[in-house]
Amino acid sequence: MPKVLIVDDEPHIRLLLEQTLEEFEEKGVEIITAGNGKQALELIKKETPDIVYLDVMMPEMNGYDVCNAVKNDPALKGVYIILLTAKGQEYDKKMGDDSGADIYMTKPFNPDVIIAKTASILNITL
Amino acid sequence: MSQINLEKLVSKKDLFSLLKGLINVLGSPIEIQGKEGKTITSFGDQPDANVQTHSNVISTNNTYPIKLNDIAIGWVKGDQPAHVFSELLSYLANKEFEKKSLASDMLDKYREINLLYDIADKIAACTEVKDVAQLIIDEARQLINATSASLMLLNNNNTLNTLEILSAYGEECIPKTILQLGEGIAGNVAVTGVAEIVNDVASDPRFVKGHNAVSSLLCAPLRLKDRILGVMNLSSRSPYPYSARDLKLLSIFASQAASSIENAILYENRMKTENIKAHLQRYVSPQIVSSILEDFGGNSLNPSKKKISILFSDIRNFSAVCEKLAPEKIVTYLNEYFSHMVEIIFEHQGTVNKFVGDMIVAFFGAPFHCDNNETQAIKSAIKMQQCIKKTGSSWIRDNFTTGIGITAGEVVVGNIGSPRHMDYTAIGDEVNIADRLQSLAKGGQILVEHNVYHATKNIFEFEKFGKITVKGKEKPIDIFNVIY
Repeated sequence: MPKVLIVDDEPHIRLLLEQTLEEFEEKGVEIITAGNGKQALELIKKETPDIVYLDVMMPEMNGYDVCNAVKNDPALKGVYIILLTAKGQEYDKKMGDDSGADIYMTKPFNPDVIIAKTASILNITL
Repeated sequence: MSQINLEKLVSKKDLFSLLKGLINVLGSPIEIQGKEGKTITSFGDQPDANVQTHSNVISTNNTYPIKLNDIAIGWVKGDQPAHVFSELLSYLANKEFEKKSLASDMLDKYREINLLYDIADKIAACTEVKDVAQLIIDEARQLINATSASLMLLNNNNTLNTLEILSAYGEECIPKTILQLGEGIAGNVAVTGVAEIVNDVASDPRFVKGHNAVSSLLCAPLRLKDRILGVMNLSSRSPYPYSARDLKLLSIFASQAASSIENAILYENRMKTENIKAHLQRYVSPQIVSSILEDFGGNSLNPSKKKISILFSDIRNFSAVCEKLAPEKIVTYLNEYFSHMVEIIFEHQGTVNKFVGDMIVAFFGAPFHCDNNETQAIKSAIKMQQCIKKTGSSWIRDNFTTGIGITAGEVVVGNIGSPRHMDYTAIGDEVNIADRLQSLAKGGQILVEHNVYHATKNIFEFEKFGKITVKGKEKPIDIFNVIY
């Protein structure tokens, strides 16, 4: 069963992303969530999700560090990481690239882009 | 609206553990069934070290509904305690439903924010009114259900105010529709400035029946402060229940459209003005261009009779002069000469009408009014002659000796020609006489006609030059030489 992990310390953003990805649940995709970086890394190791929507600014462990840790772990090679943050500056994009994130999206995110991207990575037609 | 997946709800880890714990306490097995009675999961009916029940057999056929908004979405089968589970699961299902509904609403809002964020970005790149209108229509259609959409602008003619379609989409829109202000629903909204939902168009007495089959529509004014620029319409061919949310969204689009269209109009006008300015600056000084643009109404370029002074200046023996140097060199000197001469004409509120070879034709008093245009023309001519004598280039000083002729009187002046090619020019005897005087003037000389002399004799010094006869004039004309 494909899995998507949503990581954000703001509950309403987690809820928004869950709602955005609701249709995928009907296609058998499991949506799991985490409220901070540390919890996210534990979940990624345990569940090996296909996609992680990862916020950058979070307590305990920020998104760049989580991304770094995942990308440096050969066992988590197939995990696709999408950094999702309110920042849109060139510097932040560079930090995202350096941390090994697969792509970088800025908030306010476009729900339709999220749906299209998820469908394409999981190879699911809605 | 989101529906609740009971199977997913009960499989949530936290809830699953809670249910197990409760079974322990109550000591009675239960089975949770879907809407159609199919088993989703069961508790306590199988040996489980963590679950202790009095019996592991469900001995009853009693089922208790799990209700979401009073409709059964599943069942709990078991003895009397199963009733508690059905109540608990009903409560949780309703809470989950509320959460999902809120999340769905929040996502809608988020899409709106995202859309506005996108529009603001895209609009910044639109400089043309039509492009702005098209963009707004395209974006509105993404969020509001409609089979056709249009954006109409208010045209303020002096006698009639009309609404005309600027951009449209969909079969029901007739691109050339023109409504009077107050006519139809759109015409009314343009008057009242209040956005409207009309879900039953046919029963609205204001609706103007045409070829367009519209059942429901939304209409919002393009309002800018206290002005209405036009309206934006979205409609549906088949009946559609437009909501307050749709109207709110359309109003947001309309307000974005109003300020962006106003900006685009201002930008287009500015570009037009810049274009006019660029053309005019070749003929008159920048200061005069500004004054013309500020009050263009009084300075029409249409042909009309005007009292002006006309100045012709020409280099003596220019053909012979040209033979002395290579053409490229001559052009360089000519450009320098013309630059000085034009500058001086501009300084004296003159307009350079044209260059004909080495000859300059200038007007004083057209297209804009110039007080004492005869005086300005002579002042300009004197300064032109002095400038040639003082110029840094000895070659220009020695070879570009210039004769000037000035006349004044009523001529027809304005844009004359065919629609494909027009020249701002003057027609009349005075024009021909000025040309004639220029040809009579020796290098350094300024010859003026008698009426220029009479207008300025107290300002400048003159000597009689002689008389000339002109075709069509009975009496010869007195000519004067300006002493400077």
